[in-house]
Amino acid sequence: MAIVDPSVTGAALTPDVAARGARWARIRRRLVVGVPAAVVGLLLLVCYLGPLVLPLPAPVGGSVLETRLPPGTPGHLLGTDVNGNDVLSRLVYGGRSSLTVAIAVNVIGVVLGGLVGALSGYLGGRADTIIMRALDVLIAFPSLVLTIAIAQILGPSLPNTVLALSAFAVPAIARIARSATLRVTTMPFVQAARLAGSPWWRVLLRHIAPNIVPQMLNFALLGMGIVIVTEGALSFLGLGIPAPAPSWGNMIFEGQQSLSAVPLLVLWPSLALLVTVLAFNMLGENLRDEMSGR
Amino acid sequence: MAVIAGTATAGERQGLLGRLAESPLARLVLRRVLVAIPLLLAVSILTFVLLELIPGDPAQVAAGLDATPEEVENVRRSLGLDRPAPERYLGWLGGFVTGDLGVSNVSRRGVVTMLGERLPVTLELVVLAFVVSLLIAIPAALLAARKPGGIADRAIMVVSMTLLAVPNYVMALLLVLVFAVALRSLPAIGFVPIGEDPVGNLRSVTLPVLALAVPLACFYARFLRGDLVEQMNSADYVETARAKGVGPWRVLWQHAFRNSSFGLLTLVGLNVGGLIGGTVIIEQIFAMPGLGLMMLNGVGSLDVAVVQACVFIFAATAVLANLVVDMMYAVLDPRIRYGHR
Amino acid sequence: MTATASTGTGPGVRRAARDDVVLSVRDLRVLFSRGGSTVHAVTGLSYELRAGRMLAIIGESGSGKSVGVRALMGLLPPSARVTGSATLAGTELVGLDETTMRGLRGRDIAMVFQDPTRSLNPTMSVGAQITEAIRTQRRTTRHEAEERAVELLKLVRLPAAERRVHEYPHQLSGGMRQRVMIAIALASNPKVLIADEATTALDVTTQAQIMELLVDLQDRLGTAVVLISHDLGLAASYADDVLVMYAGRAVEKAGTSTLFRHVRMPYTKALLGAIPQLGTPAHSMLTVIGGHPPDLAAIPRGCPFRPRCPRATDACVETPPLVEHEPAHAYACWHPVGDGEALAPRSEEER
Repeated sequence: MAIVDPSVTGAALTPDVAARGARWARIRRRLVVGVPAAVVGLLLLVCYLGPLVLPLPAPVGGSVLETRLPPGTPGHLLGTDVNGNDVLSRLVYGGRSSLTVAIAVNVIGVVLGGLVGALSGYLGGRADTIIMRALDVLIAFPSLVLTIAIAQILGPSLPNTVLALSAFAVPAIARIARSATLRVTTMPFVQAARLAGSPWWRVLLRHIAPNIVPQMLNFALLGMGIVIVTEGALSFLGLGIPAPAPSWGNMIFEGQQSLSAVPLLVLWPSLALLVTVLAFNMLGENLRDEMSGR
Repeated sequence: MAVIAGTATAGERQGLLGRLAESPLARLVLRRVLVAIPLLLAVSILTFVLLELIPGDPAQVAAGLDATPEEVENVRRSLGLDRPAPERYLGWLGGFVTGDLGVSNVSRRGVVTMLGERLPVTLELVVLAFVVSLLIAIPAALLAARKPGGIADRAIMVVSMTLLAVPNYVMALLLVLVFAVALRSLPAIGFVPIGEDPVGNLRSVTLPVLALAVPLACFYARFLRGDLVEQMNSADYVETARAKGVGPWRVLWQHAFRNSSFGLLTLVGLNVGGLIGGTVIIEQIFAMPGLGLMMLNGVGSLDVAVVQACVFIFAATAVLANLVVDMMYAVLDPRIRYGHR
Repeated sequence: MTATASTGTGPGVRRAARDDVVLSVRDLRVLFSRGGSTVHAVTGLSYELRAGRMLAIIGESGSGKSVGVRALMGLLPPSARVTGSATLAGTELVGLDETTMRGLRGRDIAMVFQDPTRSLNPTMSVGAQITEAIRTQRRTTRHEAEERAVELLKLVRLPAAERRVHEYPHQLSGGMRQRVMIAIALASNPKVLIADEATTALDVTTQAQIMELLVDLQDRLGTAVVLISHDLGLAASYADDVLVMYAGRAVEKAGTSTLFRHVRMPYTKALLGAIPQLGTPAHSMLTVIGGHPPDLAAIPRGCPFRPRCPRATDACVETPPLVEHEPAHAYACWHPVGDGEALAPRSEEER
């Protein structure tokens, strides 16, 4: 390329093109967080408010005469399952159960796990070692087995499922909280607070907590997907939400029996799971990217 | 020149072995093993306690639902289930240490024998899943990282993100739906031992291996792609390689990937536990006679010896995997292997 | 000379006769689109580089000196737009397609980077990185490439070359690593070697050693060297010609002795003045140039140095062109500093 007239090329790159590029980048950034957030919001809305607002038939106690109706049957938008229960209704109520479990587990995880981990990291020394060893044992234990065992001990029910799943969420979050705390504790402003004589709980609350909470929240968001899936696995194995109450996991399990005949019965709850987990994962990842400035 | 090169490598090799013997590596292994022992002990105690807490009478389960109360008592005595808990645990522990893993309450067969039958199945599933996941993930990540933001990259990222959101049991069912029901090309359940029919064996494990491998592959691919892109953008040695005229694929593989492999290795090691945990549910769906199913059934029938053995193997494997990862670091990273100046 | 024979350039490679122009840069411009703005990293850079001579390009960070040479080698990110002309022994580099450019890299034009610790791949042995360069640039057997690698290490005066070839970068000291980088750059005896702050990360003694090595190699191989630095002292000691850059522009260009004896640009004069002297009394204030370099995304009209220049007048709103006002001495200023003249003293920032 011979010498190009600089005034021409210079102009070709300035404001117009560059500004358009910037606008598109901003739009993309908003979309990438906004869309999954909207999906999650919609899910929560439908699952929690849906039963109150929408004319859904009961999710249990279906009539034997109405089994396996196809989607589009009047009164049953997505058809019915092998027991005659309306699929859509079961999806919504099941979503309510699954989401409730996931949220509860993550809240417990962040609060309890965060506390344990932060304390452990902050106190250091013997206390830290003991707590870490205990957590190591829990983590080395095959997680699904732990959850299954606890679920069996306590018996299948929604609160017990929450407890069982918390048993593996709390150690995992505690570990993250601990390493984040360790990183923050070495920072000068924490040392300064300690030297100034601040009691341990105040240092934890005012200095450490705000700095580790974003990381834990991010982990919790990503963990929503994992918890929902594991709850599904538990219900699938018959240990989570007890039949006949619906949960996406036990719907998949029931559907498995008639997989070749009526695959849709497996596909609907699977799709629900997929969309939910995907939305939470995307939200978690992109929020993290946004906050860390990419 | 060749002579000098030859001497150098031989000397190097000898040095390596010599260094290994009294090296930080050996000390690392020893230290880890020593820490692992109390850990596994604690795990076995926890297992025992949990099983004790599960409602139900193991003697009843062993004797059968329609056994008379006397029969149940007989079974209880013969299985030693009438002894107090600590005694039972210590009895098991004593046997364990000497290699006697006890007997299944339900089948009365030796646990060791059962393990011998079922371990190879799970092993095959796990190893194949491990290999397949890397075989999928590494080329996918390389392809995506070659042109970040390009078509291949975006497609791979979208697909992997979606598949990652699919739980492995759903993936398993979907695979069955597609391949076993619709296409009828692969069996939905059942395991064919490799001794009997190698081809049949491979066919019977294909779907379970895929169900295990695909989510892992997505996870690895996403991580690797991110790491590769970051290196290609900002690592100085990548710039040097480009300035030498090295082509983009070689830069990606020889420079970026070699440095990314450590991160990938750590991730893989950390996920071994997850991989093994996945076998529990996958074996159930595909009716694979492996450890996972054995453990699941054992928990269901309160079969202590069986559960203890399986849990031990799973936990020990996770610990071992972490150790192997650390060791591989020491071997692969020249900075650790040859020490600093 | 035996040295030349043993470094064995490939057959049919014509070594430029001394003083031939090997690199001719004319009105090179580099623009980056970042967010919504355009960053003018390099504006209208022109110079000529002759075989066997060393050109020092001096400037602060952000002056565009590194961007300018990376543009020559096509090593800029995709967001960069390069216009103008840069001819390397007849081949136009600007706008060259990537495949052809790759063929030239290392073979005809090579670069040594600033931080040898980060610029060498920690997972590859030093020898492997050199042979990679050799085998990428021309067809040789592994054996030949390995031999040449050892030769090159000897050329850059790395002791125990045969042993070092198998070692890894972390096993060498900083100075040794930089020698390895030079060896890699010289693998195919390129016409132009760019040293981008190549000695900045080294201690003063090692710095001197590496510079001596570069000069020696230059004499033996006839390589033209572009020395990028912020260190005027380095330029004074080793370079044949100096080009001073500010805010992406060349503001003064001359032979080394001419430049230092007859400084014209106020900026260059200020830079010289800012070098701490051994003789200054202890605890005296360091002379600094007030203000800071302009934002390259929003360069004000006129001379870019105007906001900080003690000699600025209203006339400076019009950008002074780089003109050879004196024989072999070009500068871009309406109010150049005369011989022996002091930079106008000032007590506060002038606008």
